[in-house]
Amino acid sequence: MGRVKIARKSTFIDMTAMSDVTVLLLTFFMLTSTFLQKEPTTVITPASVSEEKVQETNYIQVLVSPEGKVWLTMNNDTSANWSNEKMRMELLDNVTTYYNRSHSKNPVNFTPQQKIAFSKLGSFGVPLAQMGEFLNLASMQEGQTKMDKWLDGTDNNPAHKSGIPIQWSKDKTNPDEFQMWMMAMRDTQNENLAQAIKDGKGVAIKADQNTAFDVIHMVMDNLQTINMNKFTLLTALKAGE
Amino acid sequence: MAEIQQNDGGGKKGHQKKMAIRVDFTPMVDMNMLLITFFMLCTTMIKSQTLNIALPSNEEVKNEENMSQASADDAVTIILDAKRKAGSQEVDSVNGKVVNEVYYYFGKPGGDAGIFGPGGTVVSANNNMQMSEFLVDDGASKAARGIRKIIQDRNKDVLKEINKLKADFRDGRITQEQYDEKASKVRKDEKLKKPVIIIKCTPEASYGSLVQVLDEMQINSISKYQIDNMTKEDSVMIVDYHKNHAK
Repeated sequence: MGRVKIARKSTFIDMTAMSDVTVLLLTFFMLTSTFLQKEPTTVITPASVSEEKVQETNYIQVLVSPEGKVWLTMNNDTSANWSNEKMRMELLDNVTTYYNRSHSKNPVNFTPQQKIAFSKLGSFGVPLAQMGEFLNLASMQEGQTKMDKWLDGTDNNPAHKSGIPIQWSKDKTNPDEFQMWMMAMRDTQNENLAQAIKDGKGVAIKADQNTAFDVIHMVMDNLQTINMNKFTLLTALKAGE
Repeated sequence: MAEIQQNDGGGKKGHQKKMAIRVDFTPMVDMNMLLITFFMLCTTMIKSQTLNIALPSNEEVKNEENMSQASADDAVTIILDAKRKAGSQEVDSVNGKVVNEVYYYFGKPGGDAGIFGPGGTVVSANNNMQMSEFLVDDGASKAARGIRKIIQDRNKDVLKEINKLKADFRDGRITQEQYDEKASKVRKDEKLKKPVIIIKCTPEASYGSLVQVLDEMQINSISKYQIDNMTKEDSVMIVDYHKNHAK
């Protein structure tokens, strides 16, 4: 009886070409993408036909949640003398001065360690009265996670307030904390940022498309009161048209 | 994981052994795929666009002479609102998106006679507010509809010039720079009749609709527009409009 013999073939597949392709893809992704910033709230920005790209540096992003909470993110040009760390340190000093001017009874002060912790923050936004406690978390174990949870409100501690306090404030001499922060930004010695704010490119409002106008209006009105009349709205590109 | 296959055909002496060196790239590919997945999930390639706006200062204007007045003829007021659920003040939404409503009127609220009659009564007959809609792309017709049509009708002199320039640009008669320069000149041309658009939003109107209406200004080459606060007349007219157009 003749048996059909099946020739044994090697199952070895040459992966060299596949490897080439994946390395190319990887290079592409590494070069074209920017990392997602962790933000206290996720918003879907409205679509617009505007084709102007957001600045890469020298702008302050004002993140507004639909509930009316506000967080700030600084984007500095790191090339100049002003590193992000140095800017944030000076910013904290400035805002402390503003705050203590109107809260002379219970002033806030920060230790050098707290200042260093602040200089390493991404998005920030807690009431100044709680800022010290917030910054102390940084030196604790799993401090970053705790801070993130405080900011997005998942730490289930009702005493921990997230968001910079903001209210309708038309009195320039009696600013609310949001206005203090913005004035402190303008007052830093970074001329590039001051110029960007003057040109209306230094402040970018990022909000969800479903946010009520009332909330946005309050933020805009706050900025108008301290004479930051020009700013930009962050939008996503609309397809077509 | 290098694989070295020895091929000693019969074990002849004096000949160098033939070696086939093959490197298995499978783990390398595995690792690359993991890295790609990481980059795809943790990064973004889309950069946000920005829309520039300039608002007037909050400081009170001391001498009213310096204020530029829009003539009632040119003024178009657009009011944005969100659709409410039937019988309540709650904002209605479809698929997680607020349903926007657009109202507009020309000139003064209530026309020359005004919306308020003697003794502060509301005169429905004078209500010159109308409802419109944002252009929704149905894919079929390219003709402007809704609020865009209204804006375009009011701004047709400017748009005619702009369209001429666009045609020139398309046919290659002028360059991009020339087009930009001429277009901005046309938009600011005082001789052409153009509307002054006042955008107002109710507190419930969505931020998305505000961006949408600012977009319409850009699309339709409107040079003069501003964001303003709602007045008592505006609110009264919306309520009155709903009373007279109950579904």
